Amino acid sequence: MEIDLNRIITLSLFAATLRMATPVLLATLGGIFSSQTGIFHVGLEGLLDIGAFFAVVGSVATGSPWGGLVYAIVACSIASLIFAFVHLELRANEIIVGLALNIFATGMTNFLLFAVLGATGYYQSPLLKGFSVVQIPVIKDIPVINELLSGHFPLVYIAFFMVIVVYLVLYRTPFGFHIRAVGENIDAAKAIGINPKRIKYAGLLIAGVFCALGGSFMSLSYLNLFSEGISAGRGWLALAAINFGLGRPIPALVACLIFGFADALALRLQQFGLPSQIVLMLPYIVTFLVLGASAIQRETRKRNASRLKVGHEHA
Amino acid sequence: MINKKIAFPSMVHIRRIFGEVLTQFLNYLLILFLGLVIGAIVIFLSGKDPLTAYAALWKGAFGNWYKFADTLDRSTVLILCGLGAAVAFRTSVFNLGLEGQLYIGAMAAAIVGFAVPGLPKIIHIPLCLLAGIVAGGLWTLPVSYLRIRWNVPVMVPSLMLNYIGILFTQYLVSFPLRDPDAGMAGTPVLLDTARLPKFIQGSTINIGFIIAIVMVFLVYWFMFKTKIGYELRMVGYNPNFSASAGMPVKRSTILAMLISGGLVGFGGACIITGFFGRFLASFSVGYGWDGMMISLLAQNNPLGVLPASLFYAALANGAMTMQSQTGVPQTVVGMVKGAIMFFVTAQVFVTYFRGRMKKWKLTSTG
Amino acid sequence: MAEAISVKNINKEFPGVKANQDINLSVNQGEIRAIVGENGAGKTTLMNIMYGLYQPDSGSIFIKGKEVKLHSSRAAISNGIGMVHQHFKLVPSFTLGQNIVLGMEPQRMGFVDNKRINQSVKEISEKYGLPIKVNNLARDASVGEQQRAEILKALYRGADILILDEPTAVLTDMETEELFEMLRGLAKQGKTILFISHKLREVLAVSDTTTVMRLGKIVGTVQTSETDSCQLAEMMIGRDTVGGRMRQNGVHPGEVVLELKNICVRDERNLLAVKNVNLQLHGSEVLGVAGVDGNGQEELIEAVMGLRPLLSGEVIVHGKNITHTSTRKIRESGVAYIPSDRNKSGVAIDALIWENLIASDYYRPPISAWLSLRQKEILQIAKDLIQRFQIFTPSANLQTGHLSGGNIQRLIVGRELGSERAMAVVASQPTRGIDISGTESIRRTLLEYANRGAGVLLVSADLDEVLALSDRVVVLYEGELYDAGVVDDEVRKRVGNLMTGSKEGCINDK
Repeated sequence: MEIDLNRIITLSLFAATLRMATPVLLATLGGIFSSQTGIFHVGLEGLLDIGAFFAVVGSVATGSPWGGLVYAIVACSIASLIFAFVHLELRANEIIVGLALNIFATGMTNFLLFAVLGATGYYQSPLLKGFSVVQIPVIKDIPVINELLSGHFPLVYIAFFMVIVVYLVLYRTPFGFHIRAVGENIDAAKAIGINPKRIKYAGLLIAGVFCALGGSFMSLSYLNLFSEGISAGRGWLALAAINFGLGRPIPALVACLIFGFADALALRLQQFGLPSQIVLMLPYIVTFLVLGASAIQRETRKRNASRLKVGHEHA
Repeated sequence: MINKKIAFPSMVHIRRIFGEVLTQFLNYLLILFLGLVIGAIVIFLSGKDPLTAYAALWKGAFGNWYKFADTLDRSTVLILCGLGAAVAFRTSVFNLGLEGQLYIGAMAAAIVGFAVPGLPKIIHIPLCLLAGIVAGGLWTLPVSYLRIRWNVPVMVPSLMLNYIGILFTQYLVSFPLRDPDAGMAGTPVLLDTARLPKFIQGSTINIGFIIAIVMVFLVYWFMFKTKIGYELRMVGYNPNFSASAGMPVKRSTILAMLISGGLVGFGGACIITGFFGRFLASFSVGYGWDGMMISLLAQNNPLGVLPASLFYAALANGAMTMQSQTGVPQTVVGMVKGAIMFFVTAQVFVTYFRGRMKKWKLTSTG
Repeated sequence: MAEAISVKNINKEFPGVKANQDINLSVNQGEIRAIVGENGAGKTTLMNIMYGLYQPDSGSIFIKGKEVKLHSSRAAISNGIGMVHQHFKLVPSFTLGQNIVLGMEPQRMGFVDNKRINQSVKEISEKYGLPIKVNNLARDASVGEQQRAEILKALYRGADILILDEPTAVLTDMETEELFEMLRGLAKQGKTILFISHKLREVLAVSDTTTVMRLGKIVGTVQTSETDSCQLAEMMIGRDTVGGRMRQNGVHPGEVVLELKNICVRDERNLLAVKNVNLQLHGSEVLGVAGVDGNGQEELIEAVMGLRPLLSGEVIVHGKNITHTSTRKIRESGVAYIPSDRNKSGVAIDALIWENLIASDYYRPPISAWLSLRQKEILQIAKDLIQRFQIFTPSANLQTGHLSGGNIQRLIVGRELGSERAMAVVASQPTRGIDISGTESIRRTLLEYANRGAGVLLVSADLDEVLALSDRVVVLYEGELYDAGVVDDEVRKRVGNLMTGSKEGCINDK
């Protein structure tokens, strides 16, 4: 079989990469906040679902995608607070609570899809107002670059802008310092009077808001519809990205771009009847290998360090 | 003061045990009740009558002999996934990769089922099931390796293998193993010699269910009555203690993963050879995740997995009837399941009761 | 000189222990006060009360003559008290500067102002003579540097009174010397310093006054210049030579059952925790290993039991070299093991009592057949052990967590010694934190075991216990083993000097 690479690898493929990376990136950025406070957030998948659904509800109710965004943020915040309450106040295991949240989210959105919007399976309607693309004034006139960077949906720009914001918040503000202190050494944080519980609440809440953005992007940009299981594993992918970057925003961004590229490429391959699944597997395989490699690096460094010190002490 | 304690130890302990049993019983009763109440409220709010809906749900799950048999059939894969989760969780190994192990096991069974001709039923069926078990078990090895050799917690790697497994099987049925005659992506139909025999006319129930029941008791026996099961449980309780008592901690972790994956793969093999008759892409509607929930609901006890699986199967089957008869969407069941999990994980009522008891003790002693 | 801090009539009781009884203490401004005492003497409790981490049951605290209520460490900090814990509380990926200002970060337009961090940290670092590299990450800093950062953290928060909990435990000799220099400098600038220590050499070297605690009470406070290590050691561990002796003297030891040759072991921080230990345990002998906690006891025992890698050396049980084999092989060659932390490694608290009772024998007959456990035999054995070792429980089918600490310890002793196979018993802190009757019966069991010909290696930080039970005593101090000889009238003094670090007679540094 002859494959024309020029038809597969095009500029629009890279534009699609940015688009595909956006929801995962948003969930990843949110998850970074909770993971930096020391919480392994399995519930991102469910939060994306909730965000996507309530964005649709809000858009229909208010007639504006921005109204939908507000609805999504409120819904995801409430869900996150419930998660936080059950985990932090009732001391339930975060993973089990996360799984419960996922199940609950699927059940709830699917049910409300019928009960509120009167649809089963999926909802699509002219009442549903999605975001419209943004043309960036100067860039839109530059050839090549415009195809890549201009004409995206607003949440795409917001997502990539947020990478910088998240980086600055985590590594340059007192709040970010406190978050990282709680996650890395909770005793150190407690000893100087930081309230770890409050920080964790904040981390989870921020994760919820970011998932609301990610969910809204899925249902109100590109395709304006909500379908059952719309998040389709992007929450898990976000979890992989967080782990890939060990909780740091920049490496996580790289991971999201790889994932987005794999997604976009898979879509393209599908159109040509080529096995897209192998490409889609890549993000997970890469994450698996990165986890292994970083652990190997860590352990061997430990071993080497001990070997060095032997000589030192005997000398 | 010391003497007093020693004089009546039994009374204190008996009251404590009794209190614990009572607490757990009330806990589950309340959780079930509250879950159903939440479902009822939601149904009511959507303008339907909760009582008729629940009646239809009951009829759909247990209404007649065939429905009942179908519910049992549905529980087969849930039981095996639940057992797989229970073995891992009992050993404190957080295997989140059940879904992937299920697909891999199912695929292995399907391949043996359609590609190995000329075998009698009595050999072909066990061979298929064995393929599922072995494949599901082996699929856990990369995760165990990272855990044992490089000290990586199993959670994330096992999660990643889910998607690798699911996508890999999807690739197989979309390309090399695709049956062009199938309506959707699927392997060729299994040979008749590989199909699990059905034993009730008009129902899908097959000997897979019987095997699953046997497995419940077998796994229970293994975990609670054998020395290897004992090792697994002790390692799960406290690895430091197990190590200083001389138990093989690392081996136990690998073994727990192997058995867990094997049981789940077994479940995949059963549903393919018993129900579907061929491997279909995305055949699982979250059975692996359900298995984890079932195990948690059963407090990771193999015997508890049986009723918990039946409950889940009944909800799933009953919901279909409920939807067709009363128009209440079956997805309401998902909400009930989610709510129940919230209550279970939060141990809301247990905490509450224990708090009450403590308060009572405090006020009564001064 | 003005009084900086004082406490009056402090009492604090934990379940079963009177940790502090009628404590009165007064420290002047600019003074370096050492608080010394054995493990469990109540020093750390007192310091935690002064830092607001514990609330006293009764008594009051005065700072500069004014009574204060310290409900939390925050209240203590705002009253000018700072504490440097034995285990540093630093965030590994932050720079030392960031760690020092954490929670009080200088800001510019909402952002952390790293420039001002560096500036102000450098300022106090220079002012108090505590040199650090501000931009070093905490995880890359040396132990001494980490400690200086901890002290600066307290000073940055305006501490006038510094409490240091065993500050030298983690330091090398050189770092210790540097630390003392800095502490003297701080005192000269008017800071008040309280530090807890076991090492009398250091106490004598740096403190102005020394307060000795024993069994929750203050034994006395002396001017350091007017005392020597022998007097302090005696105050710490009492004069009572070998009262409460349970072991008869003059037992003839049998052949060697456990031999350690040149054992070296590392701890979690990769430091050498056990240095070239040689030891011979004979049959019919109780060999006591005395020493303050954290001098390598845990590491030594875990290495002997195969739970921690041996850096070098050999472990020989009854003539058989078992170095680098598994814990199970070591146990099978005839070693029984009573771990020091019963809830961490002695039992599975959530398992049933019988499950814990069979943990070291579960895999062989009569308890186990080829595959399955034999319930009837197990219950028989469990019942027998419960009776013989007086474990108070209505049934073997009960969760172990329901038992009291003493009962759990008897359970462990029963499991390890019940089958009477072991030729060597490694017992680490066998009676820690349990009631009197439990302590009594466990000690008796160990002695009976020795009387039957086995060797008992008794590791305990409780000196009275070691002296009551042992034939011979060795002392672990900073990972090295010193022989204190057979138990006689003078042994207490010898042990006391060895475990406080004055091995060549009395020290008087001033």
